[in-house]
Amino acid sequence: METIFVLLPLALLIAAIAVGFFIWAATSGQFDDLETPAVRILFDDEEVAPRAGEPASLRASAGAAASTRRVLR
Amino acid sequence: MTPLSARRAPAAAAACSHCGQPVPLALVRPADDTQFCCAGCRQVYTLVREWGFDQYYRLVGQQQGALEPATVTGRSFEDFDDARVQTPATEDLGGDRRRTRLYLEGVHCAACVWLVEKLPAVLSGVDEVRLNYGSAVAEINWRPAHTRLSTIGRALDRLGYTPHVHQAARVQDARRSEDRAGLARLGVATACAMNLMFVSGALYAGEYSGMASPYEAFFRWLSLVVALPVIFFSATPFFQTAIAGLRAGIVHIDLPIAIALAVASAASAWNTLTGTGPLWFDSLAMLVAALLGARQLQRSAQRAALERADSLRGVAFLEFARRVDGTGTDATVVEVPLSALVPGDVVEVRSGELVPVDGVVLSGRSALDNAVLTGETAPLAVTDGDGVNAGATNLGARLLVRVNATGAQTRVGALLAIVQEALSRKPSLLQTTDVMARRFVQVLLVVAAATVGIGWTQFGPEVAMTRVVALLVVSCPCALGLAVPLAMSVALMRAARAGIFVKNPDALERLRHVSTVLLDKTGTITEGRASVVRWQGEDAALQYARALEAESSHRVARAFQAAPGRGLYAVPTVHTVVEVPGRGISGRVDDHEVRVGTAFHVDAGRVPETFATASSAMVAEGLSPVFVAVDGRLAGVAGIGDELRVDSRATVAALVARGIRVRILSGDHPDVVRRVGAALGLAADDAIGGLTPEDKRDAVAALVAGRDGDGAVVMVGDGVNDAAALALADVGIAVQGGMGATIVAADIVLTREGLRPLLEILDGARRLRGVIRRNIAFSLVYNIGASSLALAGIVGPLLAAVLMPVSSLTVVLSSALTRTFARPGRAGARSSAAEA
Repeated sequence: METIFVLLPLALLIAAIAVGFFIWAATSGQFDDLETPAVRILFDDEEVAPRAGEPASLRASAGAAASTRRVLR
Repeated sequence: MTPLSARRAPAAAAACSHCGQPVPLALVRPADDTQFCCAGCRQVYTLVREWGFDQYYRLVGQQQGALEPATVTGRSFEDFDDARVQTPATEDLGGDRRRTRLYLEGVHCAACVWLVEKLPAVLSGVDEVRLNYGSAVAEINWRPAHTRLSTIGRALDRLGYTPHVHQAARVQDARRSEDRAGLARLGVATACAMNLMFVSGALYAGEYSGMASPYEAFFRWLSLVVALPVIFFSATPFFQTAIAGLRAGIVHIDLPIAIALAVASAASAWNTLTGTGPLWFDSLAMLVAALLGARQLQRSAQRAALERADSLRGVAFLEFARRVDGTGTDATVVEVPLSALVPGDVVEVRSGELVPVDGVVLSGRSALDNAVLTGETAPLAVTDGDGVNAGATNLGARLLVRVNATGAQTRVGALLAIVQEALSRKPSLLQTTDVMARRFVQVLLVVAAATVGIGWTQFGPEVAMTRVVALLVVSCPCALGLAVPLAMSVALMRAARAGIFVKNPDALERLRHVSTVLLDKTGTITEGRASVVRWQGEDAALQYARALEAESSHRVARAFQAAPGRGLYAVPTVHTVVEVPGRGISGRVDDHEVRVGTAFHVDAGRVPETFATASSAMVAEGLSPVFVAVDGRLAGVAGIGDELRVDSRATVAALVARGIRVRILSGDHPDVVRRVGAALGLAADDAIGGLTPEDKRDAVAALVAGRDGDGAVVMVGDGVNDAAALALADVGIAVQGGMGATIVAADIVLTREGLRPLLEILDGARRLRGVIRRNIAFSLVYNIGASSLALAGIVGPLLAAVLMPVSSLTVVLSSALTRTFARPGRAGARSSAAEA
């Protein structure tokens, strides 16, 4: 029975390590957003071949605005 | 004459390639593969394809529910590069890296998360983007040496997400770190409580079957060690609030809890040291875990509403201005933050934009919509030399305005300052449990003193101390502490699912007895936008008119677009469109000459009897008649106006039936307001029009000051002109579609259309009070019972360890099982059935 003097503190130590991990997870913000990760995981990693660089529409903002107005009219 | 509201838009000839909404007939281009419902969707679609993000549309296809058409502002976002704008939302990560938080409008589904987070692939200098789907706040890691925040802003805007620098980022940070700390405390308390149960279980078993003393001592010391984190880490909030309350002279519900915790831990620690007497560690740890759990639940139930308000507080009502530098052909237009403007600057206000400053029109001729400022539905014509106010919407042509005042110096700025002040002074309601806590503590101290006195003389000091400790431990109002937060968190979550976001839970308690409900008119009782309410004439003519008006952005034209159509016709082609300001529009639709406008404009000779009668009936109803002529023959007359929301009449009737006085406070013309009042069955005295925002504020303040007894004054509104009144009322409710300022000012925010949720709030608040009362009754019965047993010397640690969770469980069940707010399914199903 004397083994309990060793085993119980050992068990509590392991529990303390788990609690330590929980505190780390909570304070580093892993529970801040419970919604987005749930949807993010659904995206398949399909290979996207993005054409890098800003399209002309981004740089010439005035042009984009003008075209908006043109379409509206 | 047929009311059109009950009808539904025809099955569309085509669905928008971007958002899937039906494409207006006039915009369908039969030759194209892709169809767009608006310019915004066309732009976004083009950019998404250009960037090679086609997967977005496959992801959207997997989502449920209809998407909304995209909005592209076409702004340059140069003001984002100003340090004054950027700093509040930006952290410096060192090494030329920054993290900025932007709130995005238009995040509607999971595919948006994918699209926004793909930004680093196309913009050099953007390292990572993380979008929080719930709060629509994007965290952007970027490098100032390689890109500018304005470029990022433009990219997001062209993808259909209007970005706003998150000005309340610090407020959100504070709340977040509070949440994180609370979660850590709860985790520690729960883990320790579970382990203490095992250790105490061994001790209880040992009491019955006998236990060798070295083992008993070991287990006793073990439970002391495991309890230490609970006492010194998890339970600190109770001690802090109790002490802070005492300093301020208030007895908070945390005071009796703190007393019980302190007495239980001190006595147990002493008994561990001396090796005799009962230990209460397991009960106290369970109690801390249960109380922290309930509070964390309430916070997370409230979080959705608070985060939304945070983001909108960040979205200033007016954010930027287009400043015109230089004159003549050298003039350049640059977007600057409002704080960069000084009186005398000239700003440009484009069609459809908000006027950002108070000032004087330098040049231009246009009409302003003051509805959010004053509640007036009729547009106001302005020209050179006329004064304009910040917050008005420019409906017509471009205006140049000379700045007189900006920010807090403007009229709307002063109003918003009142809102802030009123909110900071709004007294927080003393919770029912806090009121009871004072009694509770008084009684407890008297009984404890009596126990010590009587016990000492009768049984000696040792027995007296054991009993008084038992009394103080078991009388801890744990269930009482759970009674309110649990009932509240369940109610808040249910309400949120029904489209009712409660920012301030006090509001639900204030709704105990409502004496007056004050309603804004424009946008609250009515739809807040012009639409074709009545139509007299041929169906084909209405279709022609709609096709023609699709070419215009005039107010009347938008009314035609909003009108549900009848039947489906061949897609008309429209050309040679001519618009005459103040008169109407004309053009060729298919092979017909169509004219829409005033009787004079359509020029179709004498108005036939039927149309003349219809037209005067419309005028009597408060609608503006618009004539439609096809090939020189008068073919119909449309009544244009601001229609009542579908459920306004029934809701007002139900409120009146409950003995609540309903009044309209509106800034619109008194005649219009009286007519709306009459349509709702209100007396002329109760439909007050022509009020300035200041008048509304004063009216609400007077009612709140002069109310008899506890009859709360409830204000319901949607515009900036209502914001001050909402903040001053006992309970302010912002209806769906309200401006950011009203959402900040209100206690309760509706995200479901219509006024019907008002009744649900009243019912829900009543049921919630019932639950709270029942919870309190349970916990008092338990407390009185347990205290009597403790006095008689029957209660030991084991009985306390059983009784405490049982009483808490009763409260948990009683809270969880009552339907305070109806599930949205039922109400939602009903409204969509009505639409179909």
